[in-house]
Amino acid sequence: MKKALMKDSVKEIKNTYKRFLSILLMAFLGVGFFAGIRATSPDMVDTIDKYYDNQNVYDIQVMSTLGLTEDDINEISKIENVDKVIGTYETDGKLEIDKVEEIVKVMCVEDINKPRLLEGKLPEASNECVVEPNFLSQTGKNIGDTIEVQIENTENNNGEEVEYLVNKQMKIVGTVASPLYLSRDRGSSTLGSGKIDYYIYINKDNINAKDIYTKIYVKVKGANELETSSDKYKELISSTKSKIEEIKDEREQARQNELIDTATEKLNEAQTEFDNKKKQAEEEITNAEAKIEDGKKQIEDGEKEIAKNEQKANKEFADAEAKIESAKKEISKNEETLNQEETNANAQFETLGQQKAGLESNLATVNTALGTANETYAGILEALKNPNIDSGSLESLQGQKLACEAQISKLNETKNTLIAGISEIENGINSGKQKIEDGKAQIEAAKKELEKQESSYQNTKTSTLAQIQSAKDKLEASRKELESGEQELNDQKAEVEQQLNDAEEELIDARDEIAKIEKPTWYVLDREQNSGYVSFIQDTDSVENIGQVFPIVFFIVATLISLTSMTRMVEEQRTQIGTLKALGYNKFQIASKYVIYASLASVIGGILGMSVGFVLIPKVIWMMYSMMYQIGDISLNFNWTFGIIGLGLIFICIVGATIYAVVRELRQTPAILMRPKAPKIGKRVLLERIPFIWKRLSFSRKVTVRNIFRYKKRFLMTIIGIMGCTALILTGFGLRDSISRIMPDQYEHVFNYDIQISLKDGLEENQIGELKNNLEQKDKITNVVETYMTTETAINNGVEEDVQIIVPEDKNSLDGTINIVDLDTKEKVTLNDNEICLTDKAAELLGVKEGDTITLQDSDGNQKQVTISNVVENYVYHYVYMSKELYESLYNKQYESNVLLVQDNDLTEEQEDSLAEELMNYNEISSVSLISSAIRTMDETMQSLNYVVVVLIVSAGLLAFVVLYNLSNVNISERIRELATIKVLGFYDREVYDYVTRETILLTLIGIVLGLVAGYFLNYFIIGTCEINMLRFNKTIEPLSYVYSTLITIAFTLIVNFVTYFALKKIDMIESLKSVE
Amino acid sequence: MPYIEFKNVNKIYEMGEIKINALNDTNFQIEKGELVVIVGPSGAGKTTALNILGGMDTATSGRVIVDGKEVTRLKNKELIGYRRNDIGFVFQFYNLVQNLTARENVELATQICKNSLDPEQVLEKVGLKDRMNNFPSQLSGGEQQRVAIARAIAKNPKLLLCDEPTGALDYKTGKQILKLLQDTARKENMTVLIITHNGALAPMADKVIHFKNGTAEKIEINDNPKPVEEIEW
Repeated sequence: MKKALMKDSVKEIKNTYKRFLSILLMAFLGVGFFAGIRATSPDMVDTIDKYYDNQNVYDIQVMSTLGLTEDDINEISKIENVDKVIGTYETDGKLEIDKVEEIVKVMCVEDINKPRLLEGKLPEASNECVVEPNFLSQTGKNIGDTIEVQIENTENNNGEEVEYLVNKQMKIVGTVASPLYLSRDRGSSTLGSGKIDYYIYINKDNINAKDIYTKIYVKVKGANELETSSDKYKELISSTKSKIEEIKDEREQARQNELIDTATEKLNEAQTEFDNKKKQAEEEITNAEAKIEDGKKQIEDGEKEIAKNEQKANKEFADAEAKIESAKKEISKNEETLNQEETNANAQFETLGQQKAGLESNLATVNTALGTANETYAGILEALKNPNIDSGSLESLQGQKLACEAQISKLNETKNTLIAGISEIENGINSGKQKIEDGKAQIEAAKKELEKQESSYQNTKTSTLAQIQSAKDKLEASRKELESGEQELNDQKAEVEQQLNDAEEELIDARDEIAKIEKPTWYVLDREQNSGYVSFIQDTDSVENIGQVFPIVFFIVATLISLTSMTRMVEEQRTQIGTLKALGYNKFQIASKYVIYASLASVIGGILGMSVGFVLIPKVIWMMYSMMYQIGDISLNFNWTFGIIGLGLIFICIVGATIYAVVRELRQTPAILMRPKAPKIGKRVLLERIPFIWKRLSFSRKVTVRNIFRYKKRFLMTIIGIMGCTALILTGFGLRDSISRIMPDQYEHVFNYDIQISLKDGLEENQIGELKNNLEQKDKITNVVETYMTTETAINNGVEEDVQIIVPEDKNSLDGTINIVDLDTKEKVTLNDNEICLTDKAAELLGVKEGDTITLQDSDGNQKQVTISNVVENYVYHYVYMSKELYESLYNKQYESNVLLVQDNDLTEEQEDSLAEELMNYNEISSVSLISSAIRTMDETMQSLNYVVVVLIVSAGLLAFVVLYNLSNVNISERIRELATIKVLGFYDREVYDYVTRETILLTLIGIVLGLVAGYFLNYFIIGTCEINMLRFNKTIEPLSYVYSTLITIAFTLIVNFVTYFALKKIDMIESLKSVE
Repeated sequence: MPYIEFKNVNKIYEMGEIKINALNDTNFQIEKGELVVIVGPSGAGKTTALNILGGMDTATSGRVIVDGKEVTRLKNKELIGYRRNDIGFVFQFYNLVQNLTARENVELATQICKNSLDPEQVLEKVGLKDRMNNFPSQLSGGEQQRVAIARAIAKNPKLLLCDEPTGALDYKTGKQILKLLQDTARKENMTVLIITHNGALAPMADKVIHFKNGTAEKIEINDNPKPVEEIEW
C-alpha cells in the first residue's frame, strides 16, 4: 500500500468525521448488541457455575422414604468418583408469628450447599439460626429476635419417638441466600397450607435425633471443574449417578432389615412387659376378690347375731306384756267389784234417800205446823198485848196461849227427832259413798302403777329395738360397701382386661407392622431436579433465543447505512477516483482507501461495542432476572467467540457494502469518472397516473412524492431504520405491559377474591360452617367460599411441575370468586365429577391438552391419574381445579375445607388491614393473606422492568438517530445543488427544511406504522421466548404503548431534523453552485 | 438617484491567514430597465459582485442599494425575502431540479413569491409551450436554460441576474438565449445583468461594466445597443 493512500484515508476520516462516526456507531450498536446479548446466556451459566462451586452445591442427592444411615454414607463413599458424601437433616416446621402460621424448611449449615451469608453471621450455637431476607421483611422480625419452630417428633434409630430439635427457640443471627432455592418457589410441604414459605438454616448441634439422616448429598470428583449443565458435566454426573443406583437395592434392603430388627426387638420387649403386667394385674384382682369374700362372711355373722338378739328381746317383750296384761285384768276385776258394790250402795242410798225424803216431808209438815203454831202464838201474844182485852177473852187467850206453847214444844220435839233421823241417813249415805270412793281411789292407784310399769316397758322395748335396728343398719352399710367394692372390682377387672386386650392388640398390630415394613425407596437425584436451578438454566436458553433475533435488526440497518454512506462517499470522490485511475493506480489500491476507512470504522466501533455490550447488556438482563433468582452478581466475561463473530459479521456487512459501492464505480473509465455523475433523472411516479389523487396534491406534496420514489434506496433505509426503532421501543413497552398485566390479570380477572384465609388443622365441619356464617354476617365481607387446597406435583412424560390443587366445597361456589374460563372457547367451565381443569401454562409445559391424562403426585409419593376436561386461563403459578366428588373418590378421603376465599366490600387498604387483624382473632384461622398486599409487593419488584424498557428505548433511539442522521446527511450532500438552487430562489430556511424533511417525515410515519406492526410480532416472539415457567405473560400491548412508541420515534426524528435544519442553513449557495470545472 | 448603486464595495475572503480581496472598492450604477453586461477575465470579481447584488453573498464593506433598498444592511431573513421577490437568477449550468418537470421547476419559484406570473404563460413566452411537462433530462441544454430563465422571470423580479448563461451552450443556442434575455429586458422593461467573459457580447448591452482585479475598471454606455442577432463572435 502506498503511503500517500494511507495518509489520504486518515485525512478522509478527519474531513468526513460525521460519516465515519455514524458508521462507527452502527458497528458499535451492532456488535454491542450482538455480543452483549449472546454473551449473556454464557455469563449467566458461568455465574451459576461459579456460585455453585463457591457454595459447594451437591452434584447428586440421595433421599429415602425411610431415612438414611451412616452405613449408607459409608457405602456411597466407596463408590468410584465420589468425592465427598455428607448426610444432613432437612425437614419442614411450623412457626407462628403474630398468629400467622408460616411453614419453613429447616436445613443445617453444612460444608455442602453452603448458604451465602448476606448479613450477620452463620449459626454457631444450637440456639441460633439464620433466615432468608424475605422472612425478615415479611414478618417484621429482625436479626437478634427469637423465633420458635415447631417440628413434628421424629424417630431415632431405636424406633423411639424423640424431639427433632434440641432448642425450639432460636435467635436469628443473620440472613442468608440458599443456593438450593434460586427462585422464589420454596416447594411444597405436607404441613399447613402445603406450601413452604421460607427456609431457615440451623446449626447441626440443634438436631436431636442425629442418627437418621433425611438426605445425603454427594460431590463428584472433578465436577466443580466442569461447567454445570454442560454436556461433560451431565455425563460425569449421570455415570456416577448410575453407580449409586447400583447399590440402591442393597441399601434399601439393608435399611429394611435394620428397621425390622429394631422393631422386632422393641416388640419383644413390649411383649415381655405386657406379660408381666398381665400377671401383676391378675394377682391384684385375685387379692381383691378374697377381701370381698371375707367381708361377705363378716356380714353374714353379724346378721346371725342380730337375729338372735332380736329373738331374745322379743321373748322378753312378750313376758313383760303378759304381766302387764294380767295386772290389767286384776285391776279391771277389782273395778268391776267396786262397781257392783257401788251399784248396791246406790240402791241402798236410794232407799235411804226415800226414808230421808219421808223424814224430810215429815219435817216440812212439822215445820209448817210449827209455823202455824208460831203464828197463832204470835197472834195470841198480839192479842194479849191488847189492853182492852176483856178478861174473858184474856183468860181464853191465856188458855189458848198455854195450849199453843205446849203444841210448839211438842212440834219442836218431833222436829228434832226428824232432823236426827235425816242426819243419820245422811251419814249412812256418806260413809257408803266414802267407802266406794276409797275403792275407786285404790283402783286408780293400781292403774297408775300399771301404766308406769307399762311405759317403762315401752321405753325398754323401743331402745332395744333401736339397738337392733342400728346394728342392722350398720350391717347393711357394710354390705353396700362391700357390694360397691365388688362392683368396683368388677369394673377394674373389665378395665384391666380391656387394657390388656388393647395392649395385646397393639402387640399384634406391631407384629403386623413389622411384617408390613416395606423396602424403602431411594431417590437418587441430581441438580436437574432442583426446580430453581432448572428454570434458571431454561431461562439462559430463552436469553440465547432472544440473542438470535434482536441483533439481526442492527445488522441489517448497519449494512444498509454503510451501503448508502459509502456509496455517497465514493460518488463524491468520483473525480478523485478517476484521477487516481488515470494516474495508473489499480482498482485494489484505489478501493483500499475506502476499505481502510470502513474497516477502521467497523473495527473501532465493534471493539467499543463489545466493551460496552459485554458489560451493559448482561447486567441489564441480569437485573431483570434477579427479580426471580437470588444468586448475587453476574460474572461478566469477555466472550471472545461472540466478540469475534459479532465483529466479523459487522465487518463483513460494512466493508462488504463498501467494496460493493467502490467496485461499482471502478468499473467505469477514468474519463467518465472525472465528469460529475449525472444527477438522478426525474421520472413520473405511478401516482401521477392516477389523476384523481395527483391533482389533489399540493405542489410541495407532489415534489415530496416524486422525491420519495426517486431515491428508492434511501426510502427503504429510512423505513427500515424507523421501523426497527419503533419496533424496539414498542417491544420495550410491550414487555413492560405484558409483565405488569400479570398481576391484575391473575388477581382481578381469574382470582376475584380479596382475602385468603387458611384454617387450622382438624376443625369440625360445623366449626367451619359457623365461622363461615360468622364471616358472612360482617358488613365488610360480601362472599365466603370454602375450598380445600394442597400442593402436588403434576407429571407427564417425565416433566414435573408443582401445581396447587383447588377443590371447592361446592362445584358452583367458585363462580365469581375464581373464574375458571376455558382458554379456547373463553367460556366459563363447570367442574365435573371425574375430570380436572388444568391451567394453561402447566398444560403447555407438561405437553398435554384436553382429554389427556396426567399424574398427580403428593409429597409422600402417592400417584393418581387424572384426565383433563379443560385447559383454563391463568397467569401466575399452576392450578388444578377438581370437584369435591372427584377428590373424594380419587383420594378415598372425606372432603375437609382448609381455606376460605373471601370477597370484601371494595375496602381501602386500611380497612382491609383492620379486617385482617380482626380475622386473626378467630381461633379457627391460622393465617390471613391479603391479595392486594401481594399485588403491591409484586408491583414493586416489577419496577425494575423499567430499566429494560429504558435500555431498549435508548438503543432504539440511537439506532433511529444514526439512521436518520446518516440519511439526512447523504440526502443533503446528494442534493446540495438542488437545495442551493431553491435557497437562491428565495426559499426561507424553514421552507428549505420543509422541502427536504417532508419526505423524511412521511417515510418516518410509514416506518412507524410498519414498526408498530413489526413491534407487535417482535414483542410476541420475545415474550414467548423469555416467559418464566411459573408465569403466563399476556401478550398484550397497551394502546398507550403504541402512542408512546410513536411519540418517542417522532421525538428522535425531530432531533435529527433539528440537526438537519442547521445543516441546511449552513449550505453555502455560492460554493454549491460553483461551476464544475 | 440610480436604480442600482454599488458604492465602495469591498469583499474580502479570509482563508486561514491569507486574505483575498475579491472586490476592491467597486463602484457602479445601473438604471432601471437597463441591460447590463459585465465582462472581465476569470477572478476579476464579476461573480462576487453579482452574488452580492443578488443577496447571495454579503459585502465586507460599502453599500449596495437596489431600488432605494440598502441590500448591504439587510439581515439574513430579509436577504432571503429580497432574493425571493426582487431577484431572478440564471446560472451557467441551469440548476434545474431534475425531479421536476419544466412547469414544476417554474412553479417552484412562483409558488413562493408575491407578484409571480403564470408559469404556463412564461414558458410559452420562452418558447417551451410544448415541452412544459418534460423533465430536464428530456430537454436540450438550450431548452433547459430557457426553463431556468422562465423560472427567473416568472417571479417578476426587479433584477434578472445571469451568470454566464451561455457558458455551457453552443453558439447558436447561446445566441437564442441572449436574444431571449435582451427581449425580456426590452419588452418587460426589466433590469438585466449578464456576466460573461466574452467581450464580444458587449454591444448588445445598454451599459457595459468592465471588471478587472476586483473592481469596475471601466463603465461604457452604449447609446445604440445592437440586437443580438447582429452580433457575431
